[in-house]
Amino acid sequence: MSADTAPRAAAAPRTAKGGKGPRYARTGYLFVAPFMVAFTAMFLVPLAYAAWFSLFREQMIGGNVFVGLDNYTRAFTDPRLIQGLGRVGLFFLIQVPLMMALALFFALALDTALLRLSRTIRLAIFMPYAVPSVVAALMWGFLYGPDFGPLAQLAERIGATAPDFLGADLMLGSIANIVTWEFTGYNMILLYAALRAIPTELYEAASVDGAGPWRTAWSIKIPLLRPAIVLCMVFSVIGSFQLFNEPSIMRTLAPNVIVADYTPNLYAYNLAFVGQEYNYAAAVSFVLGFVIMAGSYVFMLATNRRSRS
Amino acid sequence: MSAAIANPEAPDEPAAAAQPPREGEGRREVRGGRGRKRRSKRSTLLTVGMLAAAAYFLLPLFWLVVASTKSTGDLFSTFGLWFAGHNNLFTNLGNTFTQDGGAFTVWFGNSLLYAVASAVGGTFLAALGGYGFAKYRFRGNQAMFMGVLGAMAVPATALAIPIYLLFSQIGLTDTPWAIILPSMAIHPFGLYFMRVYTDSAVPDSLIESGRIDGAGDFRIFFQVTGRLLTPALATVFLFMLVSTWNNYFLPLIMLNDPDLYPVTVGLANWQGQASSSGGASGDYVPLVITGSLVSIFPLIIAFLFLQRYWTTGLVSGSVKQ
Amino acid sequence: MNPRFRRRTGLGAALAAPLAFAACARPPVDPPEHVSEAEIAAAMRTPTELNFWTWVPGIEKQVALFEEAYPDVKVDVVNAAQGAGHYAKIRTALRAGRGAPDVAQVEYQLIPSFSITNHLLDLRPYGAGELEDQFVDWVWAQVTGPGGEVWAIPQDTGPMGMLYRADLFEAHGIEVPETWDAFADAARTLHAADPEAYLTNFPPSQGPYFAGALWQAGADPFGGSEGPDLHVDVTSADAKRVTDYWAGLVAEGVVSTDPDFSDQWYQAANRGKYATWLTAAWGPVFLQSTAASTSGKWRAAPLPQWEPGAQAAGNWGGSTSAVFNQTAHPIQAAVFAQFINTDPECTKAMATEQFLFPPTKALLEDPEFTGLELEFYGGQRVNEVFAQISETVSPDFQWSPFQDQVYADYGATVGTAVAEGADTDAALAAWQDRITEYARLQGFTVVGNEEGS
Repeated sequence: MSADTAPRAAAAPRTAKGGKGPRYARTGYLFVAPFMVAFTAMFLVPLAYAAWFSLFREQMIGGNVFVGLDNYTRAFTDPRLIQGLGRVGLFFLIQVPLMMALALFFALALDTALLRLSRTIRLAIFMPYAVPSVVAALMWGFLYGPDFGPLAQLAERIGATAPDFLGADLMLGSIANIVTWEFTGYNMILLYAALRAIPTELYEAASVDGAGPWRTAWSIKIPLLRPAIVLCMVFSVIGSFQLFNEPSIMRTLAPNVIVADYTPNLYAYNLAFVGQEYNYAAAVSFVLGFVIMAGSYVFMLATNRRSRS
Repeated sequence: MSAAIANPEAPDEPAAAAQPPREGEGRREVRGGRGRKRRSKRSTLLTVGMLAAAAYFLLPLFWLVVASTKSTGDLFSTFGLWFAGHNNLFTNLGNTFTQDGGAFTVWFGNSLLYAVASAVGGTFLAALGGYGFAKYRFRGNQAMFMGVLGAMAVPATALAIPIYLLFSQIGLTDTPWAIILPSMAIHPFGLYFMRVYTDSAVPDSLIESGRIDGAGDFRIFFQVTGRLLTPALATVFLFMLVSTWNNYFLPLIMLNDPDLYPVTVGLANWQGQASSSGGASGDYVPLVITGSLVSIFPLIIAFLFLQRYWTTGLVSGSVKQ
Repeated sequence: MNPRFRRRTGLGAALAAPLAFAACARPPVDPPEHVSEAEIAAAMRTPTELNFWTWVPGIEKQVALFEEAYPDVKVDVVNAAQGAGHYAKIRTALRAGRGAPDVAQVEYQLIPSFSITNHLLDLRPYGAGELEDQFVDWVWAQVTGPGGEVWAIPQDTGPMGMLYRADLFEAHGIEVPETWDAFADAARTLHAADPEAYLTNFPPSQGPYFAGALWQAGADPFGGSEGPDLHVDVTSADAKRVTDYWAGLVAEGVVSTDPDFSDQWYQAANRGKYATWLTAAWGPVFLQSTAASTSGKWRAAPLPQWEPGAQAAGNWGGSTSAVFNQTAHPIQAAVFAQFINTDPECTKAMATEQFLFPPTKALLEDPEFTGLELEFYGGQRVNEVFAQISETVSPDFQWSPFQDQVYADYGATVGTAVAEGADTDAALAAWQDRITEYARLQGFTVVGNEEGS
């Protein structure tokens, strides 16, 4: 799409690009150049370098060996990686729908006029987003403490026994809770903003029709929010599959539950920095990136098809 | 790639907007009347429910405040969700900022430097780029933009190891650059947001009239449209600030010198100190807790301070999402 | 052009300093045969700055003594990370060829992982060869290579013993167990009498602790390895005896399995959940500061034995000062590593003020050290107990050249199985497989356990 073949600017003001001719095209390049240079240097070059790097194996004995695609064959058959991918996949299936449902509900509730103290509530729910995930994991780690943690103490006071949040059975759920705690508010704010952007005429028409606030939410607002919801979901796919900070901090509390390959990202880190298998770690990062891209692509296709049918 | 696919949905929106009432019509008969009757009751119920939700989100923060008033002994021997008899907050604060020769103070400063530098730089790059993509026609515009959007699906942490490998090759690891440069550039969402926002907030006529007045394109960008873009700039700035301030993985692998650590890595190091056998001790636990409390203030302040801008920014930016 | 640009260049200037250093990676030092006294004296009078990575609290004291003795050499003390993170950071710096420490705290178990990749400086040419007589034999064996290289200077050790709650033992009529069988009986007795209490805690993923347990049991899984030939035998009868024993007690429910040094563990130690702590010589003072509320109730004893009447112990922890060969100041670094670990004033302060358990014969026989009576242990001479234990540690125990990887695999296999009271044969086999596979990928020739034992 070059400037010469572009339709006349005045004819379609909404899509017109300001100016025409090679002079402005050059200015356009100047505008995008800084970003594209930074992007190339910090994104494309490292990826290319890592791709090259992943074709080798650096050994303690024998030095650097070219191994072709060996690291990838290993990755695709590595039960520890596959298990980790399965784990974060499960995490995604449990945590993301729950978080999105909560965020959507909160956003809709804030958007109705039915709520008192809505500003305070909005702020309270959003606040955890400002907490570094390292700190969030430290806090929840304390709260989860099996014998003397505050939750266990609270349960004891009412004569109950708190579940073993840090045990093998519940750990994934406990991490899901931390992530939900951190990001529900963030998603809520994005959805809430999208709601506020919906022209009010659409509601007015509905309320003239006699629809109550919940029905308006269900039948008007949610369908309109679809693009925003899809976007939030895609970010969450990415977030779940790259899970690292929370399990890495929680590891000191339950080292035999959160093992070195608990999530693919934790596995890649340990491969590189404990096992010194840097080349294989690069291959694992690639496989992980590929899975995430494929995952979000499949997800987009699925939602697109559903919205059309 | 994700948003590249999300993007085509944007033009659909008017169609989607027309659709829902149609869908709703079928259901109105079933549940129509009940909504109005319960309206006033629901508001109390909803408020109480939402307050309960808010309590859940505030609970860990409440614990954090309580815990930072306790000494090591009280921390391990009193009920976690209420204050001990003795308030140790100021001792803890003092110790946090002076322990290990004021290490926490250094980390805090580093976090500020990394977060502000990357957010300023990143916002600037995104603003220029978004404006360029939105307002200029040039060969490859569409292709480049789509390429950048495709990159959104590559997770930042999966990219971190490749960047580390490259940086260690050229000797950039263990410098502030190792944090600032990647943080500026690996959040393509900022560019996407700025393009969408510029498209709707900056009318072409404004640029045209600027040119007629004889202003250069960059001057127009800075002086005329800069003001129109303030909410978007504040939004991108804030979200980049958060992502850099909260980043743990990148600095963890890039930095070796504790004098360069940001707060996240520093606190995790202290936490390690509290839980390692090498002759350290539980005395670090209150420092970790108090340091955690201190570390969340800057972002909360930034969000409150810039609230007016980023709420507008998000609302207007989402028009086209 | 515009103020924003100017501000950015200002920031750039502030950050330009580290960028300027970026390009110069250091080649490793090739140590000379011998460095003369004169060369050393000259180097020590050259203004130098050394970078020293350590996690030891209060090490500034020894650094100050060194700087007093050699005023031209300044030492920058850096605490980069704890545990595995410490070594990960050293390795990333070594890989980058820039920013690695001159001298660092390195545990005995990690020395081979740095010597095999040729990152350590042999300290013999700098006078370390003559230090052998000052150190306990089994300790010196830990820092020397197969060719007699001296890879590091020992700083402290952790011969293992048992700290126990005399008050709880007395309340439940438990004798101090001298064998592991008696220990198991005591565990059952105590837990039956008080369901909230456990005789001890088995930390599930504490690899170094488990290595100490193997050491005591006479297992030497990597013994006989040299260079690219690696012996791996973690499934020996001695190792099985240890895992079966602990998995059995866990399955019975008479031993707890909290991760050690966690919040949970600190709280439990304070509240009397554990009646013993099977620990190392650095444990007594550590416990004193973390479980202050239980002062006066603890005593120290040797570990229970596998064979009645035997006297065997393993080692858990302790560390050394090692010099990396990327250093620009090999002489100063080597002298520093030797000074802080052999100078009488330095080592005495370490033993009596910082409570690091000494590896030198002189201090282990020094009445001022062994005679110290600790209030926390009811006035017992705890150092004397551990000094005697130190003599019973076998010198035959070898580390793998990738011990942190071995520990990571241990946690995922054997550690987890024991903590669940599960089948440890399968877990030991899985551990053996993981180590073997890793070693193969690293280019080692693995000599397995075909001989059987």
